Amino acid sequence: MSVPSAAEVEHADWPTLQGMCRSLGLNPKGRSGVVRMRVLEHVRRRGRPESWRAGRDHMAALLTRLGFPDLAEDLWESAIRLDAPAPWVGLGQAQVAGGFLSEAAKSFDRAIQMGDTSALLNRAEALGAGGDYDQAIAACESYLASHPTDLRALAMKADFLARSGFKEEGARILLAAADSHPEFPFLHAGAGTEFLRAGRPEVALEAFGPTPRMEGGAIEGALNHGAALLLLGRTREAIDIFQQALEKAPERGEALNNLGVAYLQMDEPKLAASNLARAAKRVDSPRIRLNLAKVPKAPPRPRAKKPAARKKSNP
Amino acid sequence: MTLAPDTTERFLPSVDRLESAMHAARRAFERGDTDAALGQLGAVLKLKPEYDVAWILKGAVLQKAGDREGALDAFMQALRCNGDSKEGWMGLASVLHELGRLKEEAEAYDRLLAFDPRSFDAWIDKGSVLHELQDYAGAIRCYEEVLALRPEYAAAWNNKGAALLRLGHEADAARCFEEALQFDPDCVDAMANRTYLYEKQGYHGEAVLWADRALRIREAPGLWYAKGLAHLGLLESTLAIRSLDRALALDPTLKEATAALRRATAMRGKSDFYRGPYECFGTHLEGDPGCEECEIRPRCREVTP
Repeated sequence: MSVPSAAEVEHADWPTLQGMCRSLGLNPKGRSGVVRMRVLEHVRRRGRPESWRAGRDHMAALLTRLGFPDLAEDLWESAIRLDAPAPWVGLGQAQVAGGFLSEAAKSFDRAIQMGDTSALLNRAEALGAGGDYDQAIAACESYLASHPTDLRALAMKADFLARSGFKEEGARILLAAADSHPEFPFLHAGAGTEFLRAGRPEVALEAFGPTPRMEGGAIEGALNHGAALLLLGRTREAIDIFQQALEKAPERGEALNNLGVAYLQMDEPKLAASNLARAAKRVDSPRIRLNLAKVPKAPPRPRAKKPAARKKSNP
Repeated sequence: MTLAPDTTERFLPSVDRLESAMHAARRAFERGDTDAALGQLGAVLKLKPEYDVAWILKGAVLQKAGDREGALDAFMQALRCNGDSKEGWMGLASVLHELGRLKEEAEAYDRLLAFDPRSFDAWIDKGSVLHELQDYAGAIRCYEEVLALRPEYAAAWNNKGAALLRLGHEADAARCFEEALQFDPDCVDAMANRTYLYEKQGYHGEAVLWADRALRIREAPGLWYAKGLAHLGLLESTLAIRSLDRALALDPTLKEATAALRRATAMRGKSDFYRGPYECFGTHLEGDPGCEECEIRPRCREVTP
């Protein structure tokens, strides 16, 4: 992209001027004299590059992350320009960090009005943090209207749905995200887990897919996959999954607990008790202790009879 | 006859020693070591007490060290040695300015201009001091002298505009600011003066436009206040509050800003227009292609004078 000369800008007609704005990434809106001045200023500054130094916007962004939202807010306010939405987004983030959620939503609104649609997601975050899930979901939907497969937006919408009580709807969004992003296999496990939380183990099982993945962080999903099988009464398959998981991660208390519960369903109290006891040693959880308490105690062994005293035979 | 060693030094100064001490004093001054500089200058003035350049340097060193009275004496000593020293008169005027002795400062410039009427620095500084003394007509004459010597000097155009503004010649002042910005598009003082002028004339849209440009270069509480007032005039209460808050953050004693902030806060419930990406809101121009396409044109037309 070539930068026009000052003379070209001075003599450009309106459509040419707008074309210059577009190619230079400048705001093309406004009275022609003001737009011309904007382009001229850009051309002038491009002509004499200055050495880099941290600007107000850089410092403000750093201050937000360092935990000084008040200072960041002041800096962002002084960095605000009418032709750039980014400072409004930065200001909103500082306001979120400072706990001023409704002010933050307004700042993000300004960025949105300037054409920065990604600020819709920032707005959704601020609204969600304030507990206004309906509006947060609406903001995500507005963003998804122009970016239908955006993973961040889909995940945020799913999360807000789940937090507002629509767990199954949230799970369905995650499932749709998993279908449109096969490069992220963990999304299937996430959707399955959400279905499980929504009390739909049969749908969860479909979401998990045919074989659970056991590597690295996927083990959580595998355990939930096993839990879904357990809830559906497919205990043997569940046990197989838990055992495979324990081979990979023998320290997982929840895997031991699930295996114990599965053995309990299989009427194997000894195996159930031993696994649950091991789980209770690893994780101090009331649920595990309750499961352990449910294991029927083995009936007491009959006391060994004392050998009767031999009667002396009468001589 | 044998002379005492110090007397020998005094009456038969070694040019080499004088120059090396002077050089050392200058280097010490440049690196901010005023004590070392004064030590070297003491040696120089012992060798050559009537050395005006050494007295001028001593004046500058003392001025930097905060000893204004000492600096004043040093510059006067320099001028006793050489009454035609331009640097001596400029230094003296500078100390007098710091001491708030503005009339004497103006006289110092006059003395300089009497033997060097083309001294551009003296004319512009004299204009500034006359402006401070509220002799705006005298200040304008000085700036005209500067502009006769250097017609492209943006600061002189700006200063002339500021003086004209004080005299109520708004149209002439506007032309001067235009010239200043033509020669130096980053002349922040001209931008600020333009903001004040437009705000005074009730052109709130133009005032916001120029205040924004000036504030991008340099912050000033007065400018934020003027911007806040202009936003108030355009019924943009949130933007007005933001600007006035900033003005008060920079200068909490700005009473006018506090009062304006109260007005803006009260207005917020009734009216709070948002201009979006239209930097030029309030500057509607009939027939302009940009204005024809504008989404907020009806509102802009309403608030444009």
